[in-house]
Amino acid sequence: MGLNRVIFSDSVLNDAKKIVSECMGLEDAYCKSRCPMGTDVKKYINLIAQKRYDEAIKVIREKLFLPQTLGRICAHPCEKECRRGKEFNQPLAIAALKRFVAEKADKEEFWDLKVDSDTGKKVAIIGAGPAGAQAAIDLRKRGHSVTIFDKLNVVGGMMRVGIPEYRLPRHIIDYEYSYLYKLGIEFKLGVEIGKDIKFKDLLENYDAVLIAHGAHKGNIIPIPGNTAEGVYTAVDYLKEISLTRKISKPVKKVMVIGGGDVAMDCARSSWRIGAEEVYQCSLEGFDSLPASKEEVKEAIEEGVIFNAGWGPVEILEENGKVVGIKIKKVKSIFDEKGQFNPQYEEETKVIQVDTIVMATGQLVEDITDGLIPQTSGGRYVVDKNTLATNIDKVFVAGDAAGSRIVVEAMALGRKAAISIDRFLNNKSLTEDRDFEKEWFHETKLDIPLPEDVEDIPRLSPNMRPAEERKRDFNEVDLGFTEEQAVKEASRCLKCECKLCMKECIMMNEFGSCPKEILEPLAKHGTMEPIIAYSCNGCDNCTIVCPKQLPMKNVFISSRKDFVKANNGESPIKGHAAIKMHQLLGFSKLFTIKVRGGKKNDYKDR
Amino acid sequence: MTIKIDKNKCYGFMAGCSLPSYSPYGVIKTIEYLNSIFPNFAVIQKCCGKPTKAIGQYELFKERFQSLQKDIDDLKIDEMIVACQSCKVTFDEASPTPTHSLWEIFPIIGLPQEVRGKAKNSDVVFTIHDSCSTRYMKELQDGIRWILEELGYKYIESKYSREKTRCCGFGGMVVPANPEVAKKVMKRRVETLDSEYVVTYCAACRSSILQGGAKAWHILDLIWGPVVYSNNLPPSDVLASPIKAWINRYKAKMGIKNALK
Repeated sequence: MGLNRVIFSDSVLNDAKKIVSECMGLEDAYCKSRCPMGTDVKKYINLIAQKRYDEAIKVIREKLFLPQTLGRICAHPCEKECRRGKEFNQPLAIAALKRFVAEKADKEEFWDLKVDSDTGKKVAIIGAGPAGAQAAIDLRKRGHSVTIFDKLNVVGGMMRVGIPEYRLPRHIIDYEYSYLYKLGIEFKLGVEIGKDIKFKDLLENYDAVLIAHGAHKGNIIPIPGNTAEGVYTAVDYLKEISLTRKISKPVKKVMVIGGGDVAMDCARSSWRIGAEEVYQCSLEGFDSLPASKEEVKEAIEEGVIFNAGWGPVEILEENGKVVGIKIKKVKSIFDEKGQFNPQYEEETKVIQVDTIVMATGQLVEDITDGLIPQTSGGRYVVDKNTLATNIDKVFVAGDAAGSRIVVEAMALGRKAAISIDRFLNNKSLTEDRDFEKEWFHETKLDIPLPEDVEDIPRLSPNMRPAEERKRDFNEVDLGFTEEQAVKEASRCLKCECKLCMKECIMMNEFGSCPKEILEPLAKHGTMEPIIAYSCNGCDNCTIVCPKQLPMKNVFISSRKDFVKANNGESPIKGHAAIKMHQLLGFSKLFTIKVRGGKKNDYKDR
Repeated sequence: MTIKIDKNKCYGFMAGCSLPSYSPYGVIKTIEYLNSIFPNFAVIQKCCGKPTKAIGQYELFKERFQSLQKDIDDLKIDEMIVACQSCKVTFDEASPTPTHSLWEIFPIIGLPQEVRGKAKNSDVVFTIHDSCSTRYMKELQDGIRWILEELGYKYIESKYSREKTRCCGFGGMVVPANPEVAKKVMKRRVETLDSEYVVTYCAACRSSILQGGAKAWHILDLIWGPVVYSNNLPPSDVLASPIKAWINRYKAKMGIKNALK
């Protein structure tokens, strides 16, 4: 074809650029955007709805090596963003669906065991929790040899000694961690860095070191009586229960201080080691407890007595042992400047207890002998984007670098692994790197709720009765049945824009959304003529577009530019017929102009 | 904008391309009726050049439209009446002569006595396929509904009507460029109409709706033709045959000449 290079006019190019920059067709669904690991939630949920379980688990496994674990204990930020949550307060039970499909379909044969050829580089990872494990997987797959050190004799880190067994059975952690052994990752358990091996020695013996030992130092709040026997940090309390299913001292009446998920775990664990009364108190009122709604609900079902909005002021002791706690009604938590500065009413009450658990934050111990500085908040100082430290070969991930939940820890593990792999290959840590993809992000998706959407309530997984479950360590949540899972997954609204693609037939022939179709035009100034000449010019795309983007303008107006590049003719073969049609339509043979009415008037005018 | 008929002015009528190619009879009957109403009246049969513009030949379009404007000026036409929605849009953009749609004019001048209420016993329930090029011209669309009611036909509105109407598949000169896509669009359009009896007010749309698999009549078929009952078939798809279409166009030209003798 004799078509010269088409020079598109500015108006066409500007419209194309506007569309490519504003079209929401490729924007992530709300759920996916909120997952720090970028799990394609919408995709696997809809595969579950279609009973395509093998495909669903493969989608999950693209990002997550422990779907059964996360299906049980992920704090599921995705659910907080779910459109059904925002609209009707009934978000999809995403985590429970993940658990369902992982139990139903995960098979070792699906586990990706491909490992790049050996690079000869050695990486030491301190901590066998989710951050260390994720980094180990990613680095091993790049061909580096990886050794994980952990001071515990078991794998899983906080998932093992923080999250209670009744929420996460330990055999599941072991099963999912067997993937790491299959990849050839070496474990040195029961080895404490800083004690058994000096941090400095690791630096000498390894090409890179990742610090991912978590935040295992509990925080003791400064109130009178806080050194009495019977006062525990949540970290120590949960760890002891996790490892021994008991507490060495008698626990009959317990007060848990704190309003988050860890506090709930402490309170609920107390029943299981034989407590008779379990209380909670927190500065936050009941409606603003940081704990997840499910955890609070389950704690209440199990008989925990809440004093939300009551702060601890004094621990009462006799002979050095806890005998009670005085709490005071909270007036406000933050002052006018937004600083933490709790103020109290006059009202106080005393609760008789023998055990007090402080679930009031965790700090990171320094295992580096001061080589890596820490912030005042008790985290190592790192570059936020790369997780690099003041020592070239040392990186930090997980709670030690500021994550708060398991899936965030994993994302930091992955981020650190990217940095370490670059470091080991003498590549820039930052060049050509899309940091947004390494964490959760704001999706630009902003679409109207489809007209026919009804409020269908969320299904709850099946729980064992509270009175039965609170007395043992067996799993409390029995998960979904298949029927429930399919029904729950079917509630997904499949959030995406692409409204124009449901209107327009022709664009579907050329791509998945205007952004994709017009990217070559916006970026390189090129477009196939058949795209422009397949538009009916009906404008339905723009009418349904939440941003009213001008697709028609691009397709119709660019034809002028095609004609210009083609010696005044359309580049489309079939348009020879139009040429003839137009010649005839203007020819004398078929045209006429004639006056009717009163002919005389015509002459007079 | 409400149209005011001023009988001192000269009104010109142009049926467009596809309509005379489809129904010379409908065109001539319309012209005869308009000629009886307007003391100063003229008729042009020509193309407005919309297809030239649609394929991107803007310079050529300008040239061609100028020749049409010259006809209008030669006939000393003050205001134009057009029966084609593409003509309406093209005139509004390119001509200084105020231009109205025939479908806005009918409610003002009324229908001839003999056709009013003629279809009140018809058992057909039509739906209307609005032309997408004039999706925002409410008065024009109201005119079609008014005509159906005057004739006595029953109709239902489809979800995708008026400003939400969907393309019939013919627009943008896509048929010769990408016939497979055009065919899909035609089929989809028919799927989104709530009756298999469809009224259009564009002859090309009528042809597309037929190709999409429904029964379609042009509004002029209903005004000037026999009353339609549910067991009637629509007129055949004349536009599918270029030869028949050009013969019709020629017939229309000759008919116009006779009608205004």
